[in-house]
Amino acid sequence: MTAVAAYFNDIAAAIITAAKGMSLTLRYLFTKPVTLMYPYEKPKTPARFRGVHVFDQDTCIGCFICAKACPVDCIDIEVERVKGAGKKVIIKKFDIDYQRCMFCDLCCEPCPVDCIHMGQDYEKSSYTRSGMILHFARPYTPEPAAPQSTAEAQPGAGATALTPKKPGENPA
Amino acid sequence: MSPFQQAVAAIVPIPEPFTSAGVFAVCAAIAFTFMGAVAGVLVWAERKICARMQSRRGPVHVGGKFGWLQSIADGIKLVLKEDIIPDEADKPVFRLAPYLVIAGTFLAFAALPFSDRILIVDLDVGIFFILAVSALSAVGILLGGWASNSKWSLYGAAREVAQVVSYEIPLTLAVLPVVIAAGSLSLRDIVAAQAGSILNWHLFSPFMFICFFIFFTAGLASLGRAPFDLPEAESELVAGFFTEYSGIRFSYFFLAEYGGMFLISGVASALFLGGWHLGPYSSAWIFLAKTSFLLFVMIWVRWSLPRLRIDQVMYVCWKVLTPFAMACVLGQAFLAVRS
Repeated sequence: MTAVAAYFNDIAAAIITAAKGMSLTLRYLFTKPVTLMYPYEKPKTPARFRGVHVFDQDTCIGCFICAKACPVDCIDIEVERVKGAGKKVIIKKFDIDYQRCMFCDLCCEPCPVDCIHMGQDYEKSSYTRSGMILHFARPYTPEPAAPQSTAEAQPGAGATALTPKKPGENPA
Repeated sequence: MSPFQQAVAAIVPIPEPFTSAGVFAVCAAIAFTFMGAVAGVLVWAERKICARMQSRRGPVHVGGKFGWLQSIADGIKLVLKEDIIPDEADKPVFRLAPYLVIAGTFLAFAALPFSDRILIVDLDVGIFFILAVSALSAVGILLGGWASNSKWSLYGAAREVAQVVSYEIPLTLAVLPVVIAAGSLSLRDIVAAQAGSILNWHLFSPFMFICFFIFFTAGLASLGRAPFDLPEAESELVAGFFTEYSGIRFSYFFLAEYGGMFLISGVASALFLGGWHLGPYSSAWIFLAKTSFLLFVMIWVRWSLPRLRIDQVMYVCWKVLTPFAMACVLGQAFLAVRS
């Protein structure tokens, strides 16, 4: 190609490629935006999404297997044996520290009674470090009455509400 | 006095010895307000259009729907921001530079006609005046870049000056065929020469057709708009010549850029697209519609094409646009002599 031909080819290529690029952006101008208006529209999480845990306190036998399985040691459990009721225990504390939790699902797999699961919730941000520790156990109040009958009376009261509570709220 | 000044004088009563000065002051205020409003609308439009080109939504919250108050919110934010002047800066020059930049655009607005009656001053050398004073911005940018005492600013300023000074030549040469065809430097006469049929537009004459694209490209380059935004080049130079500026001074540069966009589009539509004439109709709205279309093209180009290298910018100017513009001037002169 001579220099003159190359010069005019360059100009033609510049015009053609610019036109190509601009026609593409013009086509996109008339497409629908893909933005999800987040706080108003929530993304659909898949069924096996690993969000904040769902914990069923009534099924839990306080075996600590989940806490042992946790690779980052973020599960903190305290149990108390009920006197005269065999193996029945009261879960006094079941805290998960979400500053450490990496949502690996390894706590849920070994659970012998299937009382801990990964949930769908992911909106648990907090302004404080202590707010990132979620307390899953119901506040413990020592009851003299037989706890076995209470658990049978309310089988539906299983999964605890996942509201963060201030640490130290549980009377030790 | 132009018809516009007479109208202003009729509405605003100004006592005798100060009448002409007062009228000029009011006209200047109107022009400045218009420039600010145009910049606000353009910033919003650009954000909306570029967002949609990238399958985003752009501003949606401010002002209820479509984020239409976004520019006003941004303006308030810029005014309230701390005005930071670097310790090492050349302070008087640093303070002066934004005003020079904005003065260039603002002065040119005075000679930009919107219709037969809506023009602030009807200069015999209107187009020459606009091209001359809009070059003042380059001085302001060079001063700003130098006074900031920052490497990014200096690089940006050097590029801007190299670019603006080079592109002044094709920009001016592309105007010449129009001047030859209309036989006048006054924008009003140039537009009057395109009255009547749409085919009278200068765009539809072979040499001026090429000149329109040369003018538009050179205009983009002298504004420092993408794909010629090397003076700003945010991915390499942070913000180029106004890296060190903040708050209200930063917004002056911004205002000048968007005002300049309107100016180049307005001049292009007056020179090539028949100004305020569309077939048998003529109104300032037609002029605004044509200008808005060119502004849309400017935004469209910016969000489509990648930035050129500095040597490519210079190549386009000196080896492509300038010879083509010169050929068009010669061709048009030949046509003028023949007829």
